[in-house]
Amino acid sequence: MPERLRVVCYVNQFFGQIGGEEKAGVEPLSRDGAVGAARAVQQALGDAGTVVATVICGDNYAAEQSDRALAAMVALVAAAKPDLVVAGPAFLAGRYGVACGALCAAVQAQLTVPAVTGMHAENPGVDLYRRSVYIVQTGAEATRMLPEAQRLVALGLKLARGEKIGAPAAEGYFARGVTRNVVTETTAAERATAMLLDKLAGRPFASEVPRPSFASVPAPRLVKTLEGATIALVTDGGLVPKGNPDGIEALNATRYGAYSIEGKDALDAAQYENPHRGYDTTWVKQDPHRLVPVDVARELEQRGAIGKLHETVYSTVGVATTLAQSARMGAEIAEKLRAAGVDAVILTST
Amino acid sequence: MRLEMGTFPVHDVTFGASTRYDAGRLTIDRDAVLAAVRQDPRIATAELEIAHPGESVRIWPVRDVIEPRVKVEGRGVCYPGICDREITTVGTGRTHRLAGLGVVEVSSVNWHDAGGDFVETYLDMSGPYGEMYPYARLFNVCLVVEPDAGLGEEVKNYAVHKAALTVADRLAEAVRGLTPPETEVFELGPVDPSLPKVVYIWCVHSPQAMSGSPTAFCTATYGLTQLTPPWYLHPNEILDGALTGPYRTAYAMSWTVANNPLFLDLYRRHGRDWNFLGVISLRTEWTTQTEKQLMANQTAKLAKQLGADGAVVTWDAGGNEFIEVVRSIQACERLGIKTVFLTSEDDATEGAPTMLEPLPEADAIVSTSFFKNVTLAVPEAPAVARVIGVPTKKILRGSAIGLHAGADASLPTAGPLPPPWRYDDHYGFGSLSCTE
Repeated sequence: MPERLRVVCYVNQFFGQIGGEEKAGVEPLSRDGAVGAARAVQQALGDAGTVVATVICGDNYAAEQSDRALAAMVALVAAAKPDLVVAGPAFLAGRYGVACGALCAAVQAQLTVPAVTGMHAENPGVDLYRRSVYIVQTGAEATRMLPEAQRLVALGLKLARGEKIGAPAAEGYFARGVTRNVVTETTAAERATAMLLDKLAGRPFASEVPRPSFASVPAPRLVKTLEGATIALVTDGGLVPKGNPDGIEALNATRYGAYSIEGKDALDAAQYENPHRGYDTTWVKQDPHRLVPVDVARELEQRGAIGKLHETVYSTVGVATTLAQSARMGAEIAEKLRAAGVDAVILTST
Repeated sequence: MRLEMGTFPVHDVTFGASTRYDAGRLTIDRDAVLAAVRQDPRIATAELEIAHPGESVRIWPVRDVIEPRVKVEGRGVCYPGICDREITTVGTGRTHRLAGLGVVEVSSVNWHDAGGDFVETYLDMSGPYGEMYPYARLFNVCLVVEPDAGLGEEVKNYAVHKAALTVADRLAEAVRGLTPPETEVFELGPVDPSLPKVVYIWCVHSPQAMSGSPTAFCTATYGLTQLTPPWYLHPNEILDGALTGPYRTAYAMSWTVANNPLFLDLYRRHGRDWNFLGVISLRTEWTTQTEKQLMANQTAKLAKQLGADGAVVTWDAGGNEFIEVVRSIQACERLGIKTVFLTSEDDATEGAPTMLEPLPEADAIVSTSFFKNVTLAVPEAPAVARVIGVPTKKILRGSAIGLHAGADASLPTAGPLPPPWRYDDHYGFGSLSCTE
């Protein structure tokens, strides 16, 4: 590693001093040295490194031609042979933030060059890229450009030098969700007492579990009347045909099954079983309708209260299932239901 | 309430002609102890074995580990209420305990018929798996006991637990008349009124919803395990075993409840760092959202009425119980009570949040790391030279991941064996955490 690092900056058309929104269609280009906001990065670097090039791209071009923009920018970055890439900071600018995240992820993966960016917590780039990219938390606007560039550079230098990266709170980046076990010097009980003493005294304390945010999922509106709608039954309560043909796991499930109810007015308990290990399945095994109400759904269908009962029931086991598996299975099931023209779902859980 | 706790450290255990304690050496009259156990007609077989710290021995199936304690002066009995023991309010007078010793309840009796919860815990006295738990440092007197096969599951549970308590009582009886080498006085005496007031919110699982029985066996409060609104317990009641008995993990046992390091630390700082108010015990696994919210509200109200400025919260379960636990934290914070939550974490695969309901009020969390052994990457426990208990172990895998992948199997207990699927250090005995 050379003593004075070669750094490439990425900025948008505004921070690259090309122009405002009217220049947002500018294609990627590279300028020698530090241009526009990259000068703050150079100032923060001091003698530690030199901004050898500034890559500039218009926000609209980066958003609308994202694949082409990214490939072109990676090529421009590669040509400058950097030891470190500093993108942004993008503050609350959405298109810019997403482009910063994408470029950092790409240069890390394709060029194996360390990269760092910065943005505001509500920038959509955070949720998209925080798992793969170090994103320093900044304000919403560029009112404190130099101190924020200094924080990006401090973390970037550590990355470029291969130094140990501290916890998100200590280094000021968004938690990447890359958790690992550590053995601490004190027991958890001692740490709890110490944390309570700090909290009661009004001293700063650091929670050991970062506050996660679940993306909110708005419930879609049913655009038809129920009388015209096709309704599907889906459950995570583990009902499966005898023999568990899809081998759905008793816990930590990674599989789900699709089971036909065509021609059935009701479910025969003798034909079903339940591998779920998270609740007392006695009553469901005794009468599967307690979990999957095919009987009353058929009545509603025959009475015309609902348009049609979908002929496939989807089932999995929801106990200690990881969020990643749940999201994948949910998305796959939803896709199949949509392709089959299903309008609404009754999802029974336990 | 004033309680003197006399501690008798145990440095060696052997079988001998009489049960007595002499300068750290405990001798056990095996035949006399087993005769007492066998007086209960519900007991079919009973054997007693000793496991020493560091020994290459595996104990399976482990339902509970109990620290022998005996009420020497004052009202009531230690471990009151459970298995029909008397329910006199405890916490005063003098109690003697055998420290560094566990009575291990070894039996194939499962918790209840309903499924879902299975006895999974085995203990090693040496090796990397054994060293994960505090029990490997104890002298363990193992009661291998089976009840009459014709009894119902719930009766079997109480029968084998009563048998283990009978052993603990017999051993503790040996120090009743002796002068304890160490004595500590526990009392919530008057303190500097400017000190903050702190309560311990101790959440314990109820098996009622899962089993359908209000008397199903589990960690009990004066013998009760049913879903009840939050209780106030004087910390001396805890020291006398008012809260006792196991739940499904190796850290939810009578021994860990009686030796809870967080509880003891809170108590010992009374008058120095804060005014310790005592324990609110909240039963968990209520079945409706309304019930969960009601219990959270009432727990916080009770803490507020006690005058709490701060609270530490622990729990002993995973899954839907989290809701009433974290909502209690939220309700406390909204009443101005500053909380710290000691908990394990769920699977973080692909950066998933590790809290089931991450409320912003839960802003001070101490992590004991992941609760799944598969996420903790705990390796197989190596083979051992000797087994106490049942020679084969059924492995209920039922998962597609790690050592819990594949078909259910019946393996020789002597190993190697995969770890039980839960770890979960409920009270912060260990030094594990989880960080980025």
